Amino acid sequence: MFEISKPKSREGAFLWLYKIIAGGLIVVILAVHFIVNHFLGPKDGLLTYQAVLDYYKNPIIPAMEIIFVIVAVTHSLIGTRSIILDTNPSPKTLKVIDWILIAIGSAAIIYGIWLILVLVSRIT
Amino acid sequence: MENQPAANKFIRWFDPRNRQVGSWAFILNRITAIGLTIYLFLHLIVLSSLARGPEAYDSFIDLATSPLFKFGELFVIAGGIIHGLNGIRVGITSFGIGIRKQKEMFYVIMVISVIGTAIFAIKMFIL
Repeated sequence: MFEISKPKSREGAFLWLYKIIAGGLIVVILAVHFIVNHFLGPKDGLLTYQAVLDYYKNPIIPAMEIIFVIVAVTHSLIGTRSIILDTNPSPKTLKVIDWILIAIGSAAIIYGIWLILVLVSRIT
Repeated sequence: MENQPAANKFIRWFDPRNRQVGSWAFILNRITAIGLTIYLFLHLIVLSSLARGPEAYDSFIDLATSPLFKFGELFVIAGGIIHGLNGIRVGITSFGIGIRKQKEMFYVIMVISVIGTAIFAIKMFIL
């Protein structure tokens, strides 16, 4: 029996819908990533530091990577939260968990964007 | 009330008895989700070698191209294909598309996942 996905009682429609849309974006970006890297790009993929910098020369790439880090991190943490919801945490515990997830997510996204911009700044 | 959280549901994911196909699809999506989340954060951490410069990244790549690492990557690829395709199924059925064809979609997804993973395995280990 297959159940239809819908927001859990404490998930909210926005997070549920966001998770679906972000998931779709991840599929699209990953598909582009694999096609560009492993079929169109250099034969060995991004296996040297210089190859990564060359890859970033096309401005679409860092822009795509910034979107990617945001949607991948948020999708994974909202998903983690919905797994945690199945353990039926108390409202107080859930609040703490929410703040921990927000902290982890913000740190990961800021770090990811920083890393992308560092690479862009090193392109000569 | 259906679809409500309960502590015993957590344990039930790991109980293989009396399962229908839909439950397997759910379990598979959960396991791959947890695996891909762990991978995502490890991936972000190891890519900090890019900030440390060419030597750091290139020596990480030496490690990452070892057979053991590539074998692990194959699990990431399989998990990614399964979770991505299953996610599309879950997403479209949420909007009322293909609700009566879920079982068929799931079987097609599993076949594509096996073929896709095999293609990557051949590309990574043989070609």
